Amino acid sequence: MSERNYRLVAILMFVFLGLWALISLFPYYFQFITGFKGIEEVNRITPTFWPDEFMWSNLDLIFSDETNVAALLDTLLIASANTALAVFLGSLAGYALARFPRQAGGENMAFWILSNRMFPPVAILLPMFRAFDTVFGSTDNHISLIILYLVFNMPLATWLMMVFFRDAPRELEEAAYLDGYSPLRAFFKITLPQVVPGMMSVALLCWIFAWNEYLFANMLVGSNVAVNTIQTPGFVQGAQKLWNLAALFSLIAVIPPVVLFLVLRRYMVRGLSLGVVKG
Amino acid sequence: MARLEIEGLCKGWDFPVIDRMDLTVEEGEFFVVVGPSGIGKTTLLRLIAGLEVPNEGRIVLGGKDITRLPPYKRPVAMTFESYALYPHLSVFENIASPLRARRLPRAEVQQRVMDVARLLKIDQLVARRPAEISGGQKQRTALGRTLVAEPEAFLLDEPISHLDAKIRHELRAQFHTLEALRRVSNIYVTHDYAEALSLGDRIGVAGPGGLVQIGTAHEVFERPETLFVAEHMGQPSINVLDCELTSENGVLFARHLESSLALPVAQPHVERLNGGNVGRVSYGIRPQYVSVMEDGENLRGEQHVVDGTVTLFEPLGTYAILIAEAGGATITALSSPEHRYEHGESVRLVVDTAQAFFFDRDSGKNLVL
Repeated sequence: MSERNYRLVAILMFVFLGLWALISLFPYYFQFITGFKGIEEVNRITPTFWPDEFMWSNLDLIFSDETNVAALLDTLLIASANTALAVFLGSLAGYALARFPRQAGGENMAFWILSNRMFPPVAILLPMFRAFDTVFGSTDNHISLIILYLVFNMPLATWLMMVFFRDAPRELEEAAYLDGYSPLRAFFKITLPQVVPGMMSVALLCWIFAWNEYLFANMLVGSNVAVNTIQTPGFVQGAQKLWNLAALFSLIAVIPPVVLFLVLRRYMVRGLSLGVVKG
Repeated sequence: MARLEIEGLCKGWDFPVIDRMDLTVEEGEFFVVVGPSGIGKTTLLRLIAGLEVPNEGRIVLGGKDITRLPPYKRPVAMTFESYALYPHLSVFENIASPLRARRLPRAEVQQRVMDVARLLKIDQLVARRPAEISGGQKQRTALGRTLVAEPEAFLLDEPISHLDAKIRHELRAQFHTLEALRRVSNIYVTHDYAEALSLGDRIGVAGPGGLVQIGTAHEVFERPETLFVAEHMGQPSINVLDCELTSENGVLFARHLESSLALPVAQPHVERLNGGNVGRVSYGIRPQYVSVMEDGENLRGEQHVVDGTVTLFEPLGTYAILIAEAGGATITALSSPEHRYEHGESVRLVVDTAQAFFFDRDSGKNLVL
């Protein structure tokens, strides 16, 4: 390819990627400006693409309402606790499936675990509500969602961790046994560090699922405990929908996953490529 | 006491890999297992290490039956063919690993690791990760990890096979001089017969079902009990001709079945072969006992001349391999690299028939031992 063609392709590529970025980012931009508009400006028939005046006081309105703050904290607690459980249990199960496939039920067991993610979640919505209501007396608590989300996150964690453990060389573990480490100590000293990048990406995926879940949260919790996804549509004043506050609140709810992703991005890339390319 | 005794050891999956093996390795002995790949050499080490459970048999180390002990309770150390260094730990921590496992005091760990690192000349590298050191250094780190443990038995699985020739030579010399190896029993596995001959106090040749011959370097090389042993010791490998023993005018000949080649049987062999009443044999003659006749050279003793044409000549520095066709049979000879032979050139090959082996066609047993 000639020098000129090469530069043309490069330019076209940047134009295309630039347009794509604009299209992708526009909703966030619109959410951002909507969040700082007054309600009168939001309700105008002709939309404005720059607020007449930035209503920074909207932030106060959000944070002065305890239920908003509580919803963010509740979601944080539920997502984090669920992720910790899913990664911990998924690692144990994944390790068993990777190292002792016959004793752990083999491919069929592994596939059955994964197949738990294949049905439409709404199919188990009512039975799950009944089950948790019976067991805990009420479903409007943290523990219900923390456990319920395991239904979705544990298969994912188990399956991915199984793949990562399979790729971790068995010989290193055997070398550790010969050094005198019991299987449990060898696991923590040698095997676990090999899969940390994978584990981080699994944790991120689990956490984001739990942070974003709406369907089950809407059914199970709402008064004692609220999560951000069911709090977002709740900004109303009489018959008036407060779009600006809803936009601002959901924009705030986007920040934690973005921060988490930026922090763990290094692991994420390495983790997700672990199963693909060895070395 | 660190004597290793193996009694009636059996291990197999779909087929037996090790079949009723008995072996005793004395304290301080350097026992080398040599054999082709896939024959079960590594399986033997893994059984001794406890990474595999034997189907039958006993393993006794230092008078203690360790057959049922898990690997982390056995006083053995093993180097892996792949080195199996922990990639997330420094060279220091890799070597320190067996000591950390025993939760030894920090100062003692520091002292012992650095002693071993200095011995193996890797003390400058202890802060590095395995990914940041060369193959030879990795090998020494792996060796260090086993040395520092002060076990009762050392298991070394092809420790220097994947290194380049110069480092291999250096490390081979190091195995000769390491004091630590002289207090324990060592089993060293390799596929390289030269390594085995160089290092082994005794050598076990691994064949189907276990060790087919055990002996000193001299014994397994000069007095192979079977054709299998003769074929796997020596490079280039021994010439093997399927022959019929026939008596012509009172002289016993080994007549090649697929060509017109016939070689007289040397006098000492005639008696051992029961005057030739064994019928068909595999006739083995090592390439170093076949040479190219120089002008004016006189034959000695049991030497015999055959005419041939060169099919391949490979000069390899200090010696050359010459493959020739003689009467329809292909024979490998060693020659000097100075005289270059061309393809198709006529040569006279001198075969020292006194050095020939005669193997039973069915059992492969050496008939002239």
